[in-house]
Amino acid sequence: MTTAATRRGSSARHRPNVLAGVGGFVWLAIIIIPIYYIVITSVRPQAGFFSSNQLIPAADSNLDQYALVLQSDFFLYLANSVIITVISVVVTVLVCIMAAYAIVRSNTRFVRATFGLFLLGLAIPLQATIIPLFYMLSKAGLYDTLAALILPSIAFAIPLTVLILANFIRDIPKELFESMKVDGTSNWRMLFSLVIPLSRPAIVTVGLYNALGVWNGFLFPLILTQSPDKRVLPLSLWTFQGQFSVNVPAVLAAVVLSTLPVFVLYVFGRRQLVSGMTAGFSK
Amino acid sequence: MKLHSTRDGAGLSRRTRRLTNAVLAIGAVSLLLGVTACSSSGSTGGGANASLWGLTGGDQDQVEAPSLKEWNAANPKLKIDSNYFANDAYKTKIRTAVGAGSSPTIIYSWAGGTLNSYVKAGKVVDLTAATNGIKSKFLPSVFGQGVVDGKTYAVPMNAVTPIMFYYNKKVLAKANIDAPKTWDDILADVPKLKAVGVAPFSLAGGSKWPELMWEEYLVDRVAGPDAFNAVMAGKAGSWSDPGIIQANTMIQQLVDAGGFVKGFSSVTADSNADVALLYTGKAAMMLQGAWVYGTFNTQAAAFVKSGLGYTTFPAVDGGKGDPNDIVGNPSGYFSVSSAATKAQQKAAIAYLTKGVFDKAYTDRMIKSSQVPPIQGIDSQISAGGDFGTSVYNLTKAAPNFQMSWDQALPPAQATALLTNLDQLFNKQITPQQFSDNMNKTIGQ
Amino acid sequence: MTTNREAGVTRKTRHAGPSGWMAAPALAFFIVFAILPLLVALYLSFTNWDAISDPVWVGFDNWPKVLGDPVTITALLLSLKIIVFSWVVQTPISLLLGVFTAGRQRYRAILAAIFFLPLILSSAAIAIAFKAILDPNFGLGASLGLPFLNQDWLGDQNLILYVVVFIIAWQFVPFHTLIYQGGVRQIPASLYEAAEIDGANRWQQFWSITLPQLRYTIVTSSTLMVVGSLTYFDVIFVLTAGVPGSGIRILPIDMYITGFSANQMGQASVIAIMLCVIGLVLALGLTKFSGFTKMTSQQEGL
Repeated sequence: MTTAATRRGSSARHRPNVLAGVGGFVWLAIIIIPIYYIVITSVRPQAGFFSSNQLIPAADSNLDQYALVLQSDFFLYLANSVIITVISVVVTVLVCIMAAYAIVRSNTRFVRATFGLFLLGLAIPLQATIIPLFYMLSKAGLYDTLAALILPSIAFAIPLTVLILANFIRDIPKELFESMKVDGTSNWRMLFSLVIPLSRPAIVTVGLYNALGVWNGFLFPLILTQSPDKRVLPLSLWTFQGQFSVNVPAVLAAVVLSTLPVFVLYVFGRRQLVSGMTAGFSK
Repeated sequence: MKLHSTRDGAGLSRRTRRLTNAVLAIGAVSLLLGVTACSSSGSTGGGANASLWGLTGGDQDQVEAPSLKEWNAANPKLKIDSNYFANDAYKTKIRTAVGAGSSPTIIYSWAGGTLNSYVKAGKVVDLTAATNGIKSKFLPSVFGQGVVDGKTYAVPMNAVTPIMFYYNKKVLAKANIDAPKTWDDILADVPKLKAVGVAPFSLAGGSKWPELMWEEYLVDRVAGPDAFNAVMAGKAGSWSDPGIIQANTMIQQLVDAGGFVKGFSSVTADSNADVALLYTGKAAMMLQGAWVYGTFNTQAAAFVKSGLGYTTFPAVDGGKGDPNDIVGNPSGYFSVSSAATKAQQKAAIAYLTKGVFDKAYTDRMIKSSQVPPIQGIDSQISAGGDFGTSVYNLTKAAPNFQMSWDQALPPAQATALLTNLDQLFNKQITPQQFSDNMNKTIGQ
Repeated sequence: MTTNREAGVTRKTRHAGPSGWMAAPALAFFIVFAILPLLVALYLSFTNWDAISDPVWVGFDNWPKVLGDPVTITALLLSLKIIVFSWVVQTPISLLLGVFTAGRQRYRAILAAIFFLPLILSSAAIAIAFKAILDPNFGLGASLGLPFLNQDWLGDQNLILYVVVFIIAWQFVPFHTLIYQGGVRQIPASLYEAAEIDGANRWQQFWSITLPQLRYTIVTSSTLMVVGSLTYFDVIFVLTAGVPGSGIRILPIDMYITGFSANQMGQASVIAIMLCVIGLVLALGLTKFSGFTKMTSQQEGL
């Protein structure tokens, strides 16, 4: 985790790095132009869309297309997305914190083998298993249910989540465990009164990170669900394309609306996402 | 790594606790599995109403949705829920849904190879007995597409939709030309249209199947129906027919001449961008199905009145095919899923036999300038409008009505066909390579 | 079976803390929904399955068919191309941006907040936006009337690969920047102070301190990048409206078309196995190559 108190930024401050600044702003332009385009186009009236200069906001911008999207079952898709995201993340974090705790604090062959298997999972492109997943889930009668999205999402998130959480738990001073053990605290109690409270930053990070992954997932919903009442937001974007046809502003309004909830999370949780992520990868 | 001192002689209480933990852990997993499954699968399968998936577009607004609304109001015990998908989205979804046993009660298809595979796998219900009474009202050639091995599995539910040759009258007038009558006309018109800054042909090459329309017409005009019949019959080497190679050479000739709109490979039909190119005047002509007439009507009603022209595909001088031949979809079809409940099947069959193509359904279709595959409605159609009359006359006059190849062929061959055709249009392969590649797929 | 043997082991090391069973729920999920599918894929690769009827055992038929198919070979080459190009484009940019955003200047913090924005957009959203922007007739280039921008970005089969590499970089550079940012911030400041006393300039410091100190970060980021590139699907699928052309038919796309369009699920499963094997080989190769043999080994030192 964060160790050194003084950082290189302090020494770099006396000589401004002009080249880096210029590069930073070039990348800023690359990032911001498409986002700017999405936002201003989503409020552009459809009439005259094809003939206008698309980088200049239209004088008669309005929210009509947002109204259209909101009336097109948007809230149903939003609810589906929320359901699969919340359940997947809660279950993932719960089983992973248990696993990470066991991996750090116990040294059995079973646990080591488990951890090895998870690490291997990082190297296998799991999405390649979509065909067998489709086969298994249809045999199990789970095809076209939200559970079909939740279950593999949890499984696929496990390797990275366990890795990050284990790295974090490793940093909890061993003396804390020892002294609790002396007090006769059970391992389960330690999980809830020591491990979980102390790993909160990492839990928030993996929670946010996994939430992003599930929220934005496209392949699973595309293959494993079917009916509109099971549709989640990313898939709805795709079907909106067919429904709204060349009404580009409406499609982009749907893009903005589907991103808004995550954007709010990002504004408030950015620090946790950013700082916690380093715990898992940068070691 | 931390060293663990080992202790033996586990106390009974410890061992029990460990066992309890194990049980707890397993219990937690099964509970979670159960919870997630229940929370979401509540409404699957057992839904009381029969369900139907249709395609988005003009028919949805003007025919199917109103018909279902009336049906549900009149038959509260035989209700049918409907959903609509864009064409390409539907094609990818429906087969997986049917395979997984969670298809809608009423399955839309274009008959052909897809219907055959449904029948082979026992996924659709035999409708022979149920449709005996209504069989006679359809055009026999159209109804016959839904019959596999002597039994009826699919009922026509849509208009007869040949592929039409559309053009923008104003744009042609600007270039001072008429709608082309022959292939040579087309080649002569291309530079004239480009000179006035318009793309000669709109083409949704991104969706690939619109490219097939060119292939189907040109092969028919050059070589006649026999060339493709040999492919359907699975004759070895049948893709090497000189007519097919000549047709493909002509396609590449038109590509080279700049006949298709710039960037046609990224124009997609699901977003109706090809239709938009024509009515916004960015392209002069377009080969597309009769079904896009409804799209024109919804998106550019004024253009339909003043600027939209349509005719049949031009003749090819010296070709073996009859210039009156047409290609396209004889109709769309509804089948009933064998995975549905008895009640759902009952509602579905009732709707297919009594609701689809009842008088109101037929009238609505005619009113939206489509041609129902129904016998003895000549006078109604001519009253319905010019477009419907043209389609009806073309269909009646056609010595051969070829079903779209990608529907007629089995899926594996159809997919390979679209892939290779796309490469042909993009000049990545030669006509000879196209034939070689396709010959390898015969029998798949 | 494993669990029985494990119980014996725990008995001896019990004092170490929690029982290994605590890892069981995660393991169960992982085995059922990640490992089992791999085995099922292997099984399906020996069958003919059209997704409608039941799979039919055909033995080794599919393997030579798929491996000898020029379409597969082309897809494999395209996949390798996209892996290499993605790495070449993303790694330097992410590394430099990581160093850049690790700086404590206020303007850099603000820029960093914006840089990370693509992280929150879904692949579908990104692809839809770029599809609209790059549309040859109705897109941004066409509306601005700039001939350079008005290319057939998505239709030209020689161009689309690079367009996709760019879009993927746009999407994933923020993520890797984040990883590098964390890595850079862990480099002890004392190293730079010492270098400064020795009179090393910024460029020399970057080469002799920052880069070597980041080597594990580079391996981590590269592994994630390479394994990730093997499964690029969403962006390409949406960008091409579900019918990708031959210029961008990389392995996952080839698998999808073979499986869900041509309904040859058995042959598609062969491609799935190929993808897993390639991913494993590349990831293990990368870690071996970098002397980073065991992911756990260096964690123990901490």
